[in-house]
Amino acid sequence: MGVIHGEEMVLNIGPQHPSTHGVLRLKVKTDGEIISEITPVIGYLHRCFEKHCENMTYDQVIPYTDRCDYLAAMANNFGYVVAVEELMELKVPEKVEYIRVIMAEFQRIASHLLALGVYGLDIGAFTPFLFMLRDRERILDMFEMTCGARLLYNYMWVGGVSHDLPKGFVETAFQFLDYFEPQIDEYNKLLTYNKIFVERTADIGVLPADVAISYGVSGPNLRASGVKWDLRRNAPYSIYDKFEFDVCIGDGAKGTLGDCWDRYYVRMLEVKESVKILRQALAQIPKDGDVHQALPKKIRPPKGSIYSRTETPRGDLGFYIVSDGSPIPTRVKMRSPAFTALAVLGELAGGWMMSDVISILGSLDIVLGEIDR
Amino acid sequence: MSSDQEKLIAELVEKGLAGDMDPINAIEDRVLRSKAKSALAKAKRAAKVAAATAPEADKAADEIPEETPPSDHPNQKFGKMIEDKFPGVLEADLNDTHIQLKPDNWFEIAKWLKSEPALHFDSLQCHTGMDVGENMLEARYNLHSMTHDHKIEIRIAVSRDKANIPSIEQIWRIGDWFERETYDMFGIFFDGHRDHRRMLLPEDWEGYPLRKDYEVQQTYHGIAIPKVKEGWE
Amino acid sequence: MGILENRFQDNVVVAKLDKLIGWARSTSPWYFQFGLACCAIEMMATAASRHDLERLGMMPRSSPRQADVMIVAGTVTMKMALRVKKLYEQMADPKYVIAMGSCATSGGPYWQHGYHVLKGVDIVVPVDVYVPGCPPRPEALIEGLLKLQEKILEERPLTRKMA
Repeated sequence: MGVIHGEEMVLNIGPQHPSTHGVLRLKVKTDGEIISEITPVIGYLHRCFEKHCENMTYDQVIPYTDRCDYLAAMANNFGYVVAVEELMELKVPEKVEYIRVIMAEFQRIASHLLALGVYGLDIGAFTPFLFMLRDRERILDMFEMTCGARLLYNYMWVGGVSHDLPKGFVETAFQFLDYFEPQIDEYNKLLTYNKIFVERTADIGVLPADVAISYGVSGPNLRASGVKWDLRRNAPYSIYDKFEFDVCIGDGAKGTLGDCWDRYYVRMLEVKESVKILRQALAQIPKDGDVHQALPKKIRPPKGSIYSRTETPRGDLGFYIVSDGSPIPTRVKMRSPAFTALAVLGELAGGWMMSDVISILGSLDIVLGEIDR
Repeated sequence: MSSDQEKLIAELVEKGLAGDMDPINAIEDRVLRSKAKSALAKAKRAAKVAAATAPEADKAADEIPEETPPSDHPNQKFGKMIEDKFPGVLEADLNDTHIQLKPDNWFEIAKWLKSEPALHFDSLQCHTGMDVGENMLEARYNLHSMTHDHKIEIRIAVSRDKANIPSIEQIWRIGDWFERETYDMFGIFFDGHRDHRRMLLPEDWEGYPLRKDYEVQQTYHGIAIPKVKEGWE
Repeated sequence: MGILENRFQDNVVVAKLDKLIGWARSTSPWYFQFGLACCAIEMMATAASRHDLERLGMMPRSSPRQADVMIVAGTVTMKMALRVKKLYEQMADPKYVIAMGSCATSGGPYWQHGYHVLKGVDIVVPVDVYVPGCPPRPEALIEGLLKLQEKILEERPLTRKMA
């Protein structure tokens, strides 16, 4: 079949358009249909997070970490707090660890639901978006019950959490999990095995494993390419070594290993694994304990530096913190997983058609707040 | 405080440092007891600081011959391997946290770090800049190996006037974006980078924001950038 | 009076033309989804199943030429400020702007050390309604939109404005 090539032009997508995940600008060199080169331009949401960290105390930084990856704010808090506690060699009570894991896993489900729903919306399926957001609202209700906020919580503090679990939280959580598990099958019927969805996402945007590692891609994007790497299993932090769960990797079921469908499906499988972890954590959580007992009077870490990583819904979030003994950090660098995922877009999108670009971009699940900080 | 009381407190602190808390607890007078306890706490802290500096002083005496102090930490082992392969490239002595290198041969060292089978650092986890004061800027690399699951931190310090470091974006492809961001924030130039321009700030922005002496510009394209209001603290 | 008195039957409504136009405009403001940061997620949640915005007549449009209201949701940075102005100029009259969230109102949590943050979107575009919050709850955004509806109702588009 002959391929018709036109003249090359540079097309501009963004920084404002509906199927983006924030203010991202893509300079697309194309001949009308086939893409030859794609260059992301970022920085439209650069809010000077690192400059703020150099002027605020350690606990004042926590609300700013929320706002970086605003779809998984609990996970950001968790990453930062784990890093500071490792620097200070502070041990937190067991109840606090359980609460943190429960919140982080609920946040993982909420973030993946939004990512999958918005991905369906990008492809053109409007209904799964509404269904997934409806279930996400129930999780946000639980967060609101605990700490009062729906999206940006400032919940995990250095040495503890801000509020204890309210009465009735564990029962509500179990009710939600019992309601939610059959919903996953409904989503699979609606979107995952839908013929049109499969045709639009399978065999598109294949990411080989060695390219992924060289670009520093992590999280579900890396696992979909077949690399079994999950920080909760390989480098456990907090109490993740107490729970039984599988690390889900892609297997190229509908096409090539590492294509968009695999990245979507790994996220769906991770939601199931999070439900498993939640059931165990909610059953094992100690009933009493004071969540504020390990809060330090003054957060003054010793001189030194640390690089610590945690697993957020998007990948490995790394915090590099340098302290000189004062209550204000000298340097906080946030190494965000979406930064690396967007960097690999240039490799992935060459040779595909215009409508596939949105498919590939959506499958990488980026959040511009985290990339631009 | 009278001199009798001072002498008494000094005795009690001596006994307390030796581990004997009974004389302090037996004092009837609450004020005196609390003064003694706080003096003991101060003395303990001073003793800890002295103990921390004393071995360093011994170590400094030991370092005059060229043997590095032996340690089992993997960081020391990596440092020794780098020194053996590329002599003269270590800028400071080996320690347990990081490896300080000179910027000269960095591209070859980085290629060797990735390809050497025993090390195989195939993933550049984090790259950041740092304004360490005294007119020096530092680039810090956190490397990690997916096969061996070990990690290393490398620091390269350059002066502000000549902030040039060889670029490693061809070895770890994420270095492309990481180095552009460090250039944007600190003004460190990476020689050999194929697309050396600002990443987060607009192309016509002036200055490098994360340096400690950064002064934000007055206007940008006609929009005034207000300074921090003074009375808000 | 005279020729108009006792003229119309009961099923004919007579009103001031100003009020009619205001009523028609206010009950279907199509909003331009200009989501920048965290507030965009709350805007999406407001448009989703639980707090449905479409029952109030508000449809999301992605092109500025088809929209009436621009909801600036999120932090506006210097790099983005010029584009905000361009997009505002592309909207057709009558157009309104809602500044959603503290970042769009006055710079938000980044007011102090944010060298790249625009301290309030009203520096570049004229704003009609400010919705405070970080991020504002969906109910707060709906209240902001209802306040905008009241404002539109009170406008008298046909009256000649004194120079």
